[in-house]
Amino acid sequence: MAFGRRSPGSSRHPPALTIVTALLLASLYFAAAAAALSPTDAMHNNNWAVLVCTSRFWFNYRHMANTLSLYRTVKRLGIPDERIILMLADDMACNPRNSYPAQVFNNENHQLNLYGDNVEVDYRGYEVTVENFLRVLTGRHESAVPRSKRLLSDEGSHILLYMTGHGGDEFLKFQDSEELQSHDLADAVKQMKEKHRFKELLIMVDTCQAATLFSQLQSPGVLAIGSSMKGENSYSHHLDSDVGVSVVDRFTYYTLAFFEKLNMYSNASLNSLFTSYNPSMLLSTAYYRMDLYERPLNEVPVTNFFGSVMKTLHTDSAYTGFLAAHDNETPMSTGDNLDDHFMLKGRAIARRSTIEKEAQLTPHGWTEVLAEQLEGKNTDTVVMYGLGAMGILLALSTWLSM
Amino acid sequence: MAPPRPPTGPILFLPLVFLFLFTTAAASAAAPEDEKFTEELLLRPLPDRKALAHFHFRSSAPPAASVGRHHHLFPKAISQLVKKYHISELELSFTQGRWNYEQWGGFDPMSTNNAKPPGVELWAVFDLPLSEIDATWKNLTHTLSGLFCASINFLESSTAFSAPRWGFKLNEGNLRYGALPREAVCTENLTPWLKLLPCRDKAGIASLLYRPSIYKGYYHSQKLKLRSSQSLGIILDQTLTVVLQPNNVHGEQLHSNHGQLQPNWSMRHLFNRKLSGKCLVSKSSRVFIEVDKGIADEVNISGSVHSWSNEFFVLSNSPDKLIKGQNHLEMQSSFLYVYDASNYSEEQPLDLGITWKLPLIWTCTPSPFHASRFLMGSGNERGSIALSFMSTNLHKKISGSANDCSIKAVIFQVVPWYVKVYYHSLEIFIDGSRKTVSEVVDKIHVIPSEDKLLPGTLEMLLRFPCSMQSGTLTLDFDKGFLHIDEYPPDANQGFDIPSALVSFPEFSSARSYPEIDPVLGSPLLENFQEDSVVKSYTEVLLVPLTTPDFSMPYNVITFTCTVLALYFGSLLNALRRRIGEEERELKKRATRHGLISRLLAKLRGQKVDPSESGSSFESTGSKKLLFKVVFVAVAAVLFHYFSNNS
Repeated sequence: MAFGRRSPGSSRHPPALTIVTALLLASLYFAAAAAALSPTDAMHNNNWAVLVCTSRFWFNYRHMANTLSLYRTVKRLGIPDERIILMLADDMACNPRNSYPAQVFNNENHQLNLYGDNVEVDYRGYEVTVENFLRVLTGRHESAVPRSKRLLSDEGSHILLYMTGHGGDEFLKFQDSEELQSHDLADAVKQMKEKHRFKELLIMVDTCQAATLFSQLQSPGVLAIGSSMKGENSYSHHLDSDVGVSVVDRFTYYTLAFFEKLNMYSNASLNSLFTSYNPSMLLSTAYYRMDLYERPLNEVPVTNFFGSVMKTLHTDSAYTGFLAAHDNETPMSTGDNLDDHFMLKGRAIARRSTIEKEAQLTPHGWTEVLAEQLEGKNTDTVVMYGLGAMGILLALSTWLSM
Repeated sequence: MAPPRPPTGPILFLPLVFLFLFTTAAASAAAPEDEKFTEELLLRPLPDRKALAHFHFRSSAPPAASVGRHHHLFPKAISQLVKKYHISELELSFTQGRWNYEQWGGFDPMSTNNAKPPGVELWAVFDLPLSEIDATWKNLTHTLSGLFCASINFLESSTAFSAPRWGFKLNEGNLRYGALPREAVCTENLTPWLKLLPCRDKAGIASLLYRPSIYKGYYHSQKLKLRSSQSLGIILDQTLTVVLQPNNVHGEQLHSNHGQLQPNWSMRHLFNRKLSGKCLVSKSSRVFIEVDKGIADEVNISGSVHSWSNEFFVLSNSPDKLIKGQNHLEMQSSFLYVYDASNYSEEQPLDLGITWKLPLIWTCTPSPFHASRFLMGSGNERGSIALSFMSTNLHKKISGSANDCSIKAVIFQVVPWYVKVYYHSLEIFIDGSRKTVSEVVDKIHVIPSEDKLLPGTLEMLLRFPCSMQSGTLTLDFDKGFLHIDEYPPDANQGFDIPSALVSFPEFSSARSYPEIDPVLGSPLLENFQEDSVVKSYTEVLLVPLTTPDFSMPYNVITFTCTVLALYFGSLLNALRRRIGEEERELKKRATRHGLISRLLAKLRGQKVDPSESGSSFESTGSKKLLFKVVFVAVAAVLFHYFSNNS
């Protein structure tokens, strides 16, 4: 419900529409698509967080501590548990090697138990896989999956996606056995955008060469922060000799240091978060990708992503207030509806045309022959025959060259 | 209760009157059967210097029809679950550690009902047609996994659960059983469990559950048991059983080590908390201290309440009541000191504890046989599972020295499909001598495993002679192969075979409390009175399977690509290169160059030139030969590799 601000772009619509109706259908489609992409389609009305620790094994304790620190921060700043998807690849808190059972610390002073009494882990252990991660993002679940394990965001959602683990050039390892590639991530984000699953998305990654993971992103409304550039490592901050392993990574440590000073109502901007990273402290260069994001960063409060601060509309009484708000909204909403209607129509036509194109493309002579061949026989035997034929061809060509 | 007025007034009043009628009727119907909540805690010293704490919370809801969808105390999540999946019975347990049957007892209600296998165990009985059960089970596992933050949904696939007929619990095919031996158990599982209680962990007995002290224990098992029927409504029993090491002052510990004195403990020692009153909505809130038969015999508790302070031990508070317990053979078995938590408050908290004065050694009653399971054989191809029974000579204590009797034992075991058990290879050894299967096995039911479809299930009723000291069963198995995608990330750790369950149907662990007045209404003691057979779970087995070299596909790709590149590169070179042309070019360049190059050419040319032509001819000839050899070799290797792979 857009009562407030309208972007300059959308205010041009009523005259534009009159022209558009007279124009060709294709141009209508493009105009509608442009309108769909404008970020003011829906008001920001909810916040979600997806926090992922992708590393298994005890020596990766710090990755779980990183994730839990962020979990604590976003919870403190107002995102409720049902809107946080927490994925932890291993059990560190009750690990037999942990000398502090049911506790996880991110600092050697042990002031703060991150694994407090109220942690809700949605995916854990073997469930943390690339497949499940992509399912959460794109929302393609089996019907039996409970609501608490789904990301039920909509077009008004701001999503924080935090990932930590071991990574490299354009990939992030999951559980030491699978990789999430930058293409996979970009593809998932593109799908999310098309399914209207977010309004704005902040991706924060703390791995080695984190910047490379963002290189394929193309969807608008996406902001990305990585702990290190290509060719750089992300280092851990310090070792806790009682726990026996490093307990936190540098990038996350300084992120937390920034957030510890804040509360739900503070107005610190994303820009101030970005400038707070000092390369000499991180021992790596934090990377920000902002070319897909439209709003100026010094006007966006960090609580837009890391917290959940809702604007409340003050009304004298519920009933009249609602009426008044509705009156304000009516003229605009009709415009929106009209707009939507055209958008939908244009899109449907475009979809039909692409389907037709596909239908024209598919019947190619030789593919049919190949398909027929494959139908009867086992695919493996066909491949074998192909290989044999290639060998004979090569032998012939060698023979001729001599 | 106003009498219903005859509807003489205008027609408008009619609905009002009916409404009134309905509400009064509903109120009167619900009054005798309200939702109830009780909380209880039982503490017991264990012979090996540890302490056992058993929390028991019961919430019950009257039959659904009378209250509709609204609940006052009963957790809504559970009642929805019961209604949606038509569950008539369900038990879900999260356990870490293994119950020590020798030290902590194997013949009492605690060990038979609350000792559970490590990891997650789930079984449910559905009130549904048989064809719908598997699909419902799948949805149930997903729901429970969302509710309890655990990966219970791994039990959804048909390879993970089984449908035992009589070995686990007698049923008509509507029971499903599944276990995940490696599931981690931690705070995130306990928290949702506590959220089902009306007071959560904020008040009453549940407030003692301080996470770090609970998870420090040797054993903890958190259980949720549901029973539902048209007549009973829903009864939800939540129990948490913990075995803790009392953390004593260092000096005391040292002293007790020398004198074999039991460690003193109190609630504050065990849980870091004291009990400050009851949960206000609970019907009753009690704390018991149970003193075993072993202690009771030594101490000679005469049955009076005053025995709480005797020459061996002193309890920190004077109890409200003393209850005598008897086992099913009408023998004195234990004493229970009862405390009512509602007598204590924030200002005057209960810090119940035990202080020992004299060293005392006692043992808990064991089960008739001590069962354990282990693996035999070596290598990655085959092995065998052995189940051994060691007699504890319990029957002699119970039924005298009659040696011609026999003891029944039921074994229930589920084996994952990749451990391919050959059931015909069953061998039974009693006291070292081999017996035929028909001599010992009364009844056997086997569901053999199917690759990637079904786990193997074995249910077996055995009859051992009473005089048997040790018996062993062995089963051979082959280790299967998984697809490369089916291996877990830590495949090299090995794969778990869930615990087997051994039960002794002739022995009942039920207790009876003859002096107890039925008004006391303690669900914990009611559970102890229930007739349940003595059972024990065996160890989880860890089977190492052959794991592939997970980097193999990448190696193959790089290797093949290198070979192909080498071949095609040199082929192209051989086809396209014109040697004569190059030589002419070189000569042309040599003539064009200046003095120095001509000198160099002279120096080189005079020596090299005569041999050059011959060697170049020879080298091209041998190159071709080499080519043929390499080509044939590569073609052979490739063909062999691909034909092997397919």
